Amino acid sequence: MAQAGKGRLNYRCPSCFMRDLDIDMFYDKDKDEYFCIRCQYRGNEADVLAKNQLARFRYGAMMRRFTDFEDFSREGEKT
Amino acid sequence: MDQFIVNIIHRPEMVPEYAEKVTGQGKAEDIGRKALLTESLDIFKTQQQIAHDNGLKTTIQMTYASLFNDEAVALAKEHHEEYGDEIALSLLGLPCEQFREKYKTKDFCIWMFSMEDKKAIVRDVFGKFYERFGFYPESTGSYYMDADLINFIKAEYPSVKCAVATCWEEGPKAYHTCNNSWYTLMDGGPWAPWIPSKQNTHAPAANEAEDSGIVAIPHLSRDLLACYDGNGSNFGTHPQNVLRGMIYDPDTWEYPYLYNLIDQYRYLAKFNNGYAYNMMFVGPGWMNKMGRWEAPYELLKKSYEDGCAYYGRLKKEGKLLDMTMSEFADFYREKKHYTEPECALWRDILYGSDKQLFWYCDPYMRACVNMDQGGAIVDLRPYAAKLEWPVGIGTKHVQDASYPFLIQEKYRAGYFTHYAGEGTVRSAKICHSGEEVDLCLCRTKAHFSEEEGVRTLTLDPVEIEFEDLTVTLQTVISFPEGTGDIKIERKVLSMSDPDAEVTINEYMVACYGTTEYPEDMTGLTLTVEAGERSESIDYAYKCREASAAGAERVSCTLPPIKTKVSMTCEGRDKTGYVREGYAFSPMFTLGYQGTLQEKEVFTTWLRLERAD
Repeated sequence: MAQAGKGRLNYRCPSCFMRDLDIDMFYDKDKDEYFCIRCQYRGNEADVLAKNQLARFRYGAMMRRFTDFEDFSREGEKT
Repeated sequence: MDQFIVNIIHRPEMVPEYAEKVTGQGKAEDIGRKALLTESLDIFKTQQQIAHDNGLKTTIQMTYASLFNDEAVALAKEHHEEYGDEIALSLLGLPCEQFREKYKTKDFCIWMFSMEDKKAIVRDVFGKFYERFGFYPESTGSYYMDADLINFIKAEYPSVKCAVATCWEEGPKAYHTCNNSWYTLMDGGPWAPWIPSKQNTHAPAANEAEDSGIVAIPHLSRDLLACYDGNGSNFGTHPQNVLRGMIYDPDTWEYPYLYNLIDQYRYLAKFNNGYAYNMMFVGPGWMNKMGRWEAPYELLKKSYEDGCAYYGRLKKEGKLLDMTMSEFADFYREKKHYTEPECALWRDILYGSDKQLFWYCDPYMRACVNMDQGGAIVDLRPYAAKLEWPVGIGTKHVQDASYPFLIQEKYRAGYFTHYAGEGTVRSAKICHSGEEVDLCLCRTKAHFSEEEGVRTLTLDPVEIEFEDLTVTLQTVISFPEGTGDIKIERKVLSMSDPDAEVTINEYMVACYGTTEYPEDMTGLTLTVEAGERSESIDYAYKCREASAAGAERVSCTLPPIKTKVSMTCEGRDKTGYVREGYAFSPMFTLGYQGTLQEKEVFTTWLRLERAD
């Protein structure tokens, strides 16, 4: 088995990202998978993207456009 | 009319941070690679063009490496002539073949060098700048500029009047996010421009004698809630940092959060005499052709274009003034006076929690009030001490440039701890018939007002439910300008039984430190001042207490950070107390207990002073 390298894009470990760690993953071309050298995560590109989406769960207002910064009634806010 | 200022800063960094590590993966290190140098300059040109296309002027911070590059120098001169860009000098971007050869080191953060090296490097870099441009710069900066460095630069090069001098709350959290490999430990500073004192960069000058002679600006304008809780490098006016946080729709590449962040900063004009500020400073490594993590180059570039387009639109609508750094320094000196605080009533714009914080910063303190915890103070930095804190090789703090805290709810817990001990927080407990409710559990909102030099936060009343009594209580927190005091009033608006009486315990649990780990508390002294009944405890982890009815003052002196913190009180049946901690809870507590009836007020003052 050859040494691992970087993939098409330089994905971070989604599992570590969810605990506020930015860890570059490395790519195993023989298995077509990315793996984390810090935690136990491994997965192909589709799985990484799916997990990245999962990591966004905490950004509950990520797509909301705020128009008032002291009005907590949520009226007047664009979504 | 409100004035919203933006500084847009670019640096031609011939060997961008990240780039060699990221794009050079699998290759032996070579910071002189021609492809790397060419791409770096191309990114700088792209950034400049994007800003200019949107009608925005920039500050070009030349790096040491770029001073050896004729094209970079020519571009800076050309853009200064054509667009009014300022040609400034950054102390970032030191790495290049010439630097490595001369200084025989891979260090690149100016504040971490020995003072001797700082002087040599500054003279070298400023001299090289003069050689190429024929004048000395008016603006400079780095991620952090320690006080000794600023004082030296100002003395040697008096033309310097503005500097990028800290990254807000970039400390242990950023360190952890980078797998404990990014040593920018500089928590505890201002989030908006300030005049650093000669003694400590983080602590604003209180008067002309303390004035370091420059106006400092923070590196980026950061989310005052998200950055306090999480990695500072995900939540700022740096479009690619927003991508780093994955705060965008991966299908549509939309990121309304970036615009919300800019808009909330604009809103801060309401609390600061009609003035608000933004800074955008994206290093070229963030617009790498190889992409950055999961973001391809196209998205990196789009985000920068969108960021500049938004600022450009605001400018066209007359809602923004774009300035160079030196222009801003002049503006700031005109606009602000020394003791004028910076205030920010800030709401969550990312997580959907509706949490609200209030940040206050002046020459005597930086404080954070958390409305989601009933107006508890959850972060407190005693700037009144103007703590001398040399950093760099040869000092006690090679990397740690943070201003020490007395209270930090993330590093030393807050209201909640696991099973034993206490966390740092300034709150109050209301007690009745054996029941006790901490205001930390009373979520509310606040409203800001200012009158005769006093900034006041008036919190919406909260209801405290006991088994046989409901109390409606309001908290009002005031910051009288130029005093180092925080006044906290608890007003009982009503009780379900108008004849009832409750006990109030106003307390502050504190310690000192700059990181998550405990410091030695030996040497601290706790005192209850009550005339002949005064009593002191020399901290020895023995869990002792002292109290006195009618105490005039309770205090703690902390020699390691040259700080004295005290509380005084006005209220029925007041009893002041101090509590020593123990090894598993290395804290101290200051407090006052008293009683409250309907329509009564219990008032305490927290004061910060330099101990010696």
